[in-house]
Amino acid sequence: MSELIIEPIEKYGLNISHEKKALFSRVGVVGAGKEGRTIISLTASAGMDVVFMDESQERIDFVFEELNRVMDQKISKWGLTQSEKKVIMNRITPTLSYDDFAGCDLVIECTRYSESGRRSTPIRKNIFKILDDSLEPDAIIATNGPTVIISELAADLVHKERCVSLYFPVSHPDARILEIVKGMYTSEEVYNKMEIFAQLINYRPHRINESNGNVSIRLLTTMLNEACQMLLERVSSMESIEETFTIIYGQRYGVFRLADIIGIERIVTIMEAMFNDFGEKHYKPNPLLWKLYRSNQLGIRTGKGFYIYDENGNVISENRSLFN
Amino acid sequence: MKILVLNCGSSSIKYKLFDMKSNGVIAQGGVEKIGMKGSFLKLTLPGGQKVQLEGEILEHRAGIEYIFGVLLSEKYGCIRSLDEIDAVGHRVVHGGERFNTSVLITEEVIEMLKECIELAPLHNPPNLKGIYAIQELLPHTPQVSVFDTAFHQTMPDYAYVYGLPYSLYEKYGIRRYGFHGTSHRYVSKRACEFLNVPYESQRIITAHIGNGVSITAIKNGKSMDTSMGMTPVEGLMMGTRSGDLDPGVISYIMEKEHMSASGMSTLLNKFSGVLGVSGLSSDMREINAGIKENNPRAILALKTYDYRIKKYIGAYSAVLGGVDILVFTGGVGENQWTTRSAVCKDMEYMGIELDEELNRSARAKEVVISKPTSKVKVLIIPTDEELTIAKDTMKILEK
Repeated sequence: MSELIIEPIEKYGLNISHEKKALFSRVGVVGAGKEGRTIISLTASAGMDVVFMDESQERIDFVFEELNRVMDQKISKWGLTQSEKKVIMNRITPTLSYDDFAGCDLVIECTRYSESGRRSTPIRKNIFKILDDSLEPDAIIATNGPTVIISELAADLVHKERCVSLYFPVSHPDARILEIVKGMYTSEEVYNKMEIFAQLINYRPHRINESNGNVSIRLLTTMLNEACQMLLERVSSMESIEETFTIIYGQRYGVFRLADIIGIERIVTIMEAMFNDFGEKHYKPNPLLWKLYRSNQLGIRTGKGFYIYDENGNVISENRSLFN
Repeated sequence: MKILVLNCGSSSIKYKLFDMKSNGVIAQGGVEKIGMKGSFLKLTLPGGQKVQLEGEILEHRAGIEYIFGVLLSEKYGCIRSLDEIDAVGHRVVHGGERFNTSVLITEEVIEMLKECIELAPLHNPPNLKGIYAIQELLPHTPQVSVFDTAFHQTMPDYAYVYGLPYSLYEKYGIRRYGFHGTSHRYVSKRACEFLNVPYESQRIITAHIGNGVSITAIKNGKSMDTSMGMTPVEGLMMGTRSGDLDPGVISYIMEKEHMSASGMSTLLNKFSGVLGVSGLSSDMREINAGIKENNPRAILALKTYDYRIKKYIGAYSAVLGGVDILVFTGGVGENQWTTRSAVCKDMEYMGIELDEELNRSARAKEVVISKPTSKVKVLIIPTDEELTIAKDTMKILEK
């Protein structure tokens, strides 16, 4: 028997359906920090080709190491097979140049200073500008995060309507809800496409009208502030407060643990923004949060936060220095 | 009369077009990786030549359109107009308690199928997508649904009930349903035709042994018990499924490994069975290669796999009060003589005498492999689920 014949399928179409362009077959990610890497592996796992950009070859090597490590962890937990991993890794391409985003129908900006974890609005604006100039006009430009920013990032662009903000909750792997933030300029069409994107990566889409903290973070921060205040007032122990949250209210993790997972620097930044926006005192970061923030004890990422962690991110003990 | 048989999975569609005059397949192939990068339609031409058509196939409907496009094409096609397709038969995985036979698809049937989604959340939705696509593309062509579970609806209540609070059965329909019904029905009937004995008065055990494995006890043409349960994980050890397991183990693992319900389900369905025990593969070719190299885990995996089959045959012999016919089918059942041999070893006490020589030489064809003196006739009957679906479809249309 002769070899397999391979042909393109297009000419066998029936033209009964309306012709559809394949959405999200190629996705770009700018900045492969922890959130960026989460998005890279999510999209690649969903069968999309992913191009990611970072600032140096060393960073790119590090990103691949981390992606490998996280996938191996999944394999050891029976969440992925070796062959699935291979296929997923093959879909991921690194780049140092914006040119390689050509052909992407969605590019997600996730930049953050690796030292402080802070984000720079001028840098992000600049990235949006470059993307706006270089991408096809119907490609979507997104940023990742729960703060109000998308209208500001979009304001100077030619195609403002294509900008949208996404927030991928990081609290645990089953938290598969994507908060899709519609800014001042975001078109309904772009929003609808992002709902499809959410479904493709197996997330439930939630529509959010631009507001600091979205829903997920706003709910958590007020609870966290109250928990910190109770600690300061010595109402109860950290362990008891955590157990109240996990056992009585049925959460997977305690509220302090969640703060460490999300990152103290992010929480403080968002709370400041919410306090500025809404003026309510309960959004003002509690002194305990400031204490952690100023001492660079930012949670799992830095190995210390409300808890102390080993290098695999497992809790060793409570962080006693909080109470000194 | 031409009948198209469709088997829509979560990201795949298999199809066969039958000419019912000759029961012959005039076109066959499948679409894979629907909605993913690298999707394609692969078909086998009548001469055996394989063709792969590559391109974006975003959804089941598009996949079915391409199948039609290929069937109509000058180069690879075999029909001139879609009107030549007289009916479409669908394989539907779960029919719950609603369906004990194949049915003509009506709006009412579709509503009932939707109600069965909860029982097979992975399998039934793509089956429905295939039905909707045909409704749109061939609105005047009748469609028939053939269920994997229907044949087993004759099981008596004491065989299908679990030893759980009865309220759970009433609330969620938690009970044993069984699968591979179309295959068990086909091979058991076919075996009787082949032996020229009346189907309605035989005690038959059918062993469908492939990547999924199930065994059925059939008495007088009716399924009395089958090894798969509410889901296909119950029963025998399979390629990647655990099969029977102490339920206590499940909660123990979940606690020890901090696993969620969905993680546990993946563990039992994708990382267990032959793959899990051997640590090598779920593919029998690789297991056999491992055994040749004396890999102890490969040896253990196959022994466990064979042993479980034997155990169920013993149990079902008791259920039936003896056995007249034992049928092997499915990829492994049809091709792997070592498994048939291991299963039938030392079973003379119950009337199974395998002809080892016949057994060794037999592969994927209808053949008796027991000795003439054997009280139980042991046969290989290659399964043909698609043909059964096509025949059911025709029968319903003729009514």
